[in-house]
Amino acid sequence: MGISNLSVFQALKTKMQWHQERQGVLSQNVANADTPGYMGRDLKAPVFADSLDKATSVKPVQLAVTEPGHMRASSNGAFGMDRKAGSFEVTPDDNTVVLEEQMMKVTANQMDYQAAATLYSRGLGLLKTAIGRS
Amino acid sequence: MDFMKSLMIAASGLKAQNGRMRVIAENIANADSTGRTPEEDPYRRKIATFKSKFDRELDAETVRLGRIQEDRSDFKTRYEPGNPAADANGNVRLPNVDTLIETVDMREAQRSYEANLNVIQSTRRMLQRTIDILRA
Repeated sequence: MGISNLSVFQALKTKMQWHQERQGVLSQNVANADTPGYMGRDLKAPVFADSLDKATSVKPVQLAVTEPGHMRASSNGAFGMDRKAGSFEVTPDDNTVVLEEQMMKVTANQMDYQAAATLYSRGLGLLKTAIGRS
Repeated sequence: MDFMKSLMIAASGLKAQNGRMRVIAENIANADSTGRTPEEDPYRRKIATFKSKFDRELDAETVRLGRIQEDRSDFKTRYEPGNPAADANGNVRLPNVDTLIETVDMREAQRSYEANLNVIQSTRRMLQRTIDILRA
Protein backbone atom coordinates (compact mmCIF):
# COMPACT_ATOMS: atom_id res chain seq x y z
CA MET A 1 0.00 0.00 0.00
CA GLY A 2 1.46 3.28 -1.10
CA ILE A 3 1.25 6.57 0.70
CA SER A 4 -1.28 7.91 -1.80
CA ASN A 5 -3.74 5.20 -0.80
CA LEU A 6 -4.18 6.81 2.60
CA SER A 7 -7.30 8.96 2.45
CA VAL A 8 -5.61 12.10 3.81
CA PHE A 9 -2.89 12.01 1.19
CA GLN A 10 -5.32 11.14 -1.54
CA ALA A 11 -7.54 14.10 -0.71
CA LEU A 12 -4.53 16.43 -0.55
CA LYS A 13 -3.25 15.06 -3.82
CA THR A 14 -6.56 15.77 -5.52
CA LYS A 15 -6.56 19.29 -4.09
CA MET A 16 -3.03 19.95 -5.27
CA GLN A 17 -3.87 18.62 -8.72
CA TRP A 18 -6.86 20.92 -8.86
CA HIS A 19 -4.74 23.95 -7.94
CA GLN A 20 -2.13 22.96 -10.48
CA GLU A 21 -4.77 22.70 -13.17
CA ARG A 22 -6.26 26.02 -12.12
CA GLN A 23 -2.89 27.74 -12.29
CA GLY A 24 -2.70 26.66 -15.92
CA VAL A 25 -6.17 28.04 -16.66
CA LEU A 26 -5.38 31.33 -14.90
CA SER A 27 -2.10 31.71 -16.75
CA GLN A 28 -4.03 31.29 -20.02
CA ASN A 29 -6.36 34.07 -18.92
CA VAL A 30 -3.50 36.43 -18.06
CA ALA A 31 -1.59 35.65 -21.26
CA ASN A 32 -4.73 36.39 -23.29
CA ALA A 33 -5.66 39.51 -21.31
CA ASP A 34 -5.31 41.66 -24.46
CA THR A 35 -6.65 39.20 -27.05
CA PRO A 36 -9.89 40.40 -28.66
CA GLY A 37 -12.80 38.03 -28.18
CA TYR A 38 -11.11 35.88 -25.54
CA MET A 39 -13.46 34.60 -22.84
CA GLY A 40 -11.93 34.26 -19.37
CA ARG A 41 -12.20 30.84 -17.82
CA ASP A 42 -11.91 29.23 -14.45
CA LEU A 43 -12.13 25.74 -12.99
CA LYS A 44 -15.22 24.70 -11.11
CA ALA A 45 -14.58 24.38 -7.42
CA PRO A 46 -14.48 20.73 -6.43
CA VAL A 47 -17.50 19.55 -4.47
CA PHE A 48 -17.05 16.99 -1.75
CA ALA A 49 -19.98 14.87 -2.94
CA ASP A 50 -18.41 14.77 -6.42
CA SER A 51 -15.17 13.33 -5.15
CA LEU A 52 -17.17 10.76 -3.24
CA ASP A 53 -19.02 9.82 -6.43
CA LYS A 54 -15.85 9.63 -8.44
CA ALA A 55 -14.35 7.08 -6.09
CA THR A 56 -17.22 4.68 -6.70
CA SER A 57 -18.48 5.37 -10.23
CA VAL A 58 -17.01 4.46 -13.61
CA LYS A 59 -14.72 6.78 -15.54
CA PRO A 60 -16.27 9.00 -18.29
CA VAL A 61 -15.93 7.87 -21.91
CA GLN A 62 -13.05 9.46 -23.78
CA LEU A 63 -12.12 9.59 -27.44
CA ALA A 64 -9.19 7.38 -28.36
CA VAL A 65 -6.04 9.14 -29.58
CA THR A 66 -4.60 7.04 -32.38
CA GLU A 67 -2.62 9.71 -34.24
CA PRO A 68 -0.30 12.29 -32.73
CA GLY A 69 -2.32 15.03 -34.48
CA HIS A 70 -5.57 14.13 -32.71
CA MET A 71 -6.89 16.58 -30.19
CA ARG A 72 -8.12 15.26 -26.92
CA ALA A 73 -11.84 15.78 -26.55
CA SER A 74 -11.68 16.74 -22.89
CA SER A 75 -8.95 19.28 -22.45
CA ASN A 76 -9.27 19.35 -18.68
CA GLY A 77 -9.29 15.78 -17.49
CA ALA A 78 -10.83 15.46 -14.08
CA PHE A 79 -12.09 18.94 -13.28
CA GLY A 80 -15.03 20.75 -14.86
CA MET A 81 -14.38 24.00 -16.72
CA ASP A 82 -16.41 27.10 -15.99
CA ARG A 83 -16.67 28.99 -19.27
CA LYS A 84 -17.80 32.43 -18.24
CA ALA A 85 -16.17 33.15 -14.93
CA GLY A 86 -18.12 35.76 -12.98
CA SER A 87 -16.28 38.71 -14.42
CA PHE A 88 -16.33 42.37 -13.57
CA GLU A 89 -16.65 43.72 -17.08
CA VAL A 90 -16.45 42.98 -20.77
CA THR A 91 -14.27 45.28 -22.85
CA PRO A 92 -15.53 46.60 -26.21
CA ASP A 93 -13.42 43.97 -28.00
CA ASP A 94 -15.28 41.16 -26.19
CA ASN A 95 -12.49 40.30 -23.80
CA THR A 96 -13.71 39.29 -20.35
CA VAL A 97 -10.36 39.07 -18.56
CA VAL A 98 -9.77 41.60 -15.78
CA LEU A 99 -6.14 41.55 -14.70
CA GLU A 100 -6.82 42.60 -11.10
CA GLU A 101 -9.33 39.78 -10.66
CA GLN A 102 -6.89 37.29 -12.18
CA MET A 103 -4.08 38.45 -9.89
CA MET A 104 -6.34 37.89 -6.89
CA LYS A 105 -7.18 34.42 -8.13
CA VAL A 106 -3.54 33.56 -8.80
CA THR A 107 -2.56 34.66 -5.31
CA ALA A 108 -5.43 32.76 -3.68
CA ASN A 109 -4.57 29.71 -5.73
CA GLN A 110 -0.93 29.90 -4.70
CA MET A 111 -1.77 30.25 -1.01
CA ASP A 112 -4.22 27.37 -1.04
CA TYR A 113 -1.69 25.22 -2.83
CA GLN A 114 0.97 26.08 -0.29
CA ALA A 115 -1.42 25.23 2.53
CA ALA A 116 -2.13 21.83 0.97
CA ALA A 117 1.58 21.20 0.37
CA THR A 118 2.40 22.10 3.95
CA LEU A 119 -0.32 19.76 5.22
CA TYR A 120 1.09 17.05 2.99
CA SER A 121 4.58 17.38 4.40
CA ARG A 122 3.16 17.53 7.94
CA GLY A 123 1.33 14.29 7.22
CA LEU A 124 4.58 12.74 6.07
CA GLY A 125 6.14 13.97 9.31
CA LEU A 126 3.43 12.16 11.26
CA LEU A 127 4.19 8.95 9.41
CA LYS A 128 7.87 9.38 10.14
CA THR A 129 7.10 9.81 13.83
CA ALA A 130 4.98 6.67 13.70
CA ILE A 131 7.83 4.59 12.32
CA GLY A 132 10.18 6.01 14.92
CA ARG A 133 12.32 8.42 12.93
CA SER A 134 11.65 11.84 14.30
CA MET B 1 -1.62 20.57 -17.10
CA ASP B 2 1.51 20.74 -15.02
CA PHE B 3 3.37 23.76 -13.76
CA MET B 4 5.76 23.78 -16.69
CA LYS B 5 2.78 24.32 -18.98
CA SER B 6 1.62 27.27 -16.89
CA LEU B 7 5.10 28.72 -17.19
CA MET B 8 5.14 28.23 -20.96
CA ILE B 9 1.73 29.90 -21.35
CA ALA B 10 2.83 32.89 -19.26
CA ALA B 11 6.03 33.06 -21.31
CA SER B 12 3.96 33.29 -24.50
CA GLY B 13 2.21 36.27 -22.90
CA LEU B 14 5.56 37.89 -22.11
CA LYS B 15 6.70 37.42 -25.68
CA ALA B 16 3.52 38.93 -27.15
CA GLN B 17 3.71 42.00 -24.89
CA ASN B 18 7.37 42.32 -25.78
CA GLY B 19 6.44 42.45 -29.47
CA ARG B 20 3.80 45.07 -28.74
CA MET B 21 6.41 47.15 -26.91
CA ARG B 22 8.65 46.94 -29.98
CA VAL B 23 5.89 48.30 -32.21
CA ILE B 24 5.24 51.15 -29.75
CA ALA B 25 8.93 51.99 -29.67
CA GLU B 26 8.92 52.08 -33.46
CA ASN B 27 5.99 54.51 -33.44
CA ILE B 28 7.56 56.84 -30.89
CA ALA B 29 10.93 56.80 -32.62
CA ASN B 30 9.27 57.73 -35.92
CA ALA B 31 6.95 60.39 -34.48
CA ASP B 32 8.68 63.06 -36.59
CA SER B 33 9.59 61.08 -39.71
CA THR B 34 8.22 63.08 -42.62
CA GLY B 35 8.71 62.18 -46.26
CA ARG B 36 11.58 63.69 -48.19
CA THR B 37 9.34 65.17 -50.89
CA PRO B 38 5.76 66.56 -50.72
CA GLU B 39 4.51 63.45 -52.56
CA GLU B 40 6.12 60.92 -50.26
CA ASP B 41 3.94 59.76 -47.35
CA PRO B 42 5.27 60.28 -43.84
CA TYR B 43 5.56 57.36 -41.41
CA ARG B 44 2.24 55.63 -40.76
CA ARG B 45 1.48 54.54 -37.22
CA LYS B 46 1.57 50.76 -36.68
CA ILE B 47 -0.76 48.83 -34.39
CA ALA B 48 0.12 45.49 -32.80
CA THR B 49 -2.71 42.94 -32.65
CA PHE B 50 -3.02 39.88 -30.47
CA LYS B 51 -4.23 36.47 -31.48
CA SER B 52 -5.14 33.53 -29.31
CA LYS B 53 -3.54 30.34 -30.54
CA PHE B 54 -4.41 26.83 -29.43
CA ASP B 55 -1.12 25.09 -28.71
CA ARG B 56 -1.64 21.36 -29.24
CA GLU B 57 1.49 20.40 -27.40
CA LEU B 58 0.53 22.36 -24.30
CA ASP B 59 -3.17 21.62 -24.81
CA ALA B 60 -3.92 25.23 -23.93
CA GLU B 61 -4.61 28.66 -25.40
CA THR B 62 -1.38 30.58 -25.78
CA VAL B 63 -1.16 34.11 -27.16
CA ARG B 64 0.90 35.46 -29.99
CA LEU B 65 1.30 38.61 -31.99
CA GLY B 66 -1.02 38.76 -34.99
CA ARG B 67 -0.50 40.83 -38.14
CA ILE B 68 0.85 44.29 -37.54
CA GLN B 69 -1.82 46.63 -38.88
CA GLU B 70 -1.46 50.21 -40.03
CA ASP B 71 -3.39 53.10 -38.58
CA ARG B 72 -5.57 54.43 -41.44
CA SER B 73 -6.29 57.78 -39.80
CA ASP B 74 -5.30 61.06 -41.49
CA PHE B 75 -1.84 62.54 -41.22
CA LYS B 76 -1.30 65.67 -39.19
CA THR B 77 -0.18 68.81 -41.02
CA ARG B 78 1.98 71.71 -39.92
CA TYR B 79 2.71 75.00 -41.66
CA GLU B 80 6.45 75.04 -42.35
CA PRO B 81 7.29 76.50 -45.80
CA GLY B 82 11.04 76.00 -45.46
CA ASN B 83 10.76 72.26 -45.06
CA PRO B 84 11.74 70.25 -48.19
CA ALA B 85 8.62 68.13 -47.69
CA ALA B 86 6.28 71.13 -47.70
CA ASP B 87 3.63 71.32 -50.44
CA ALA B 88 2.72 74.41 -52.53
CA ASN B 89 0.81 75.94 -49.60
CA GLY B 90 3.72 75.42 -47.21
CA ASN B 91 2.12 72.58 -45.24
CA VAL B 92 4.14 69.57 -44.18
CA ARG B 93 2.42 66.25 -43.57
CA LEU B 94 3.50 64.64 -40.29
CA PRO B 95 3.03 61.03 -39.10
CA ASN B 96 -0.31 60.19 -37.44
CA VAL B 97 1.50 59.31 -34.23
CA ASP B 98 0.26 60.80 -30.97
CA THR B 99 2.98 60.42 -28.38
CA LEU B 100 0.45 60.60 -25.55
CA ILE B 101 -1.49 57.64 -26.92
CA GLU B 102 1.73 55.71 -27.40
CA THR B 103 2.77 56.43 -23.81
CA VAL B 104 -0.55 55.19 -22.45
CA ASP B 105 -0.34 52.11 -24.65
CA MET B 106 3.17 51.51 -23.39
CA ARG B 107 1.96 51.62 -19.79
CA GLU B 108 -0.73 49.10 -20.60
CA ALA B 109 1.80 46.78 -22.21
CA GLN B 110 3.98 47.15 -19.13
CA ARG B 111 1.10 46.26 -16.80
CA SER B 112 0.23 43.16 -18.84
CA TYR B 113 3.88 42.14 -18.88
CA GLU B 114 4.05 42.48 -15.10
CA ALA B 115 0.88 40.43 -14.71
CA ASN B 116 2.46 37.60 -16.68
CA LEU B 117 5.63 37.87 -14.62
CA ASN B 118 3.49 37.66 -11.51
CA VAL B 119 1.96 34.40 -12.72
CA ILE B 120 5.44 33.01 -13.37
CA GLN B 121 6.60 33.98 -9.91
CA SER B 122 3.56 32.47 -8.26
CA THR B 123 3.92 29.25 -10.26
CA ARG B 124 7.59 29.03 -9.33
CA ARG B 125 6.71 29.36 -5.66
CA MET B 126 4.17 26.56 -5.95
CA LEU B 127 6.76 24.41 -7.73
CA GLN B 128 9.29 25.19 -5.02
CA ARG B 129 6.80 24.18 -2.35
CA THR B 130 6.29 20.85 -4.10
CA ILE B 131 10.02 20.22 -4.06
CA ASP B 132 10.05 21.14 -0.36
CA ILE B 133 7.83 18.13 0.35
CA LEU B 134 10.79 15.96 -0.62
CA ARG B 135 13.00 17.66 1.92
CA ALA B 136 10.59 17.40 4.82
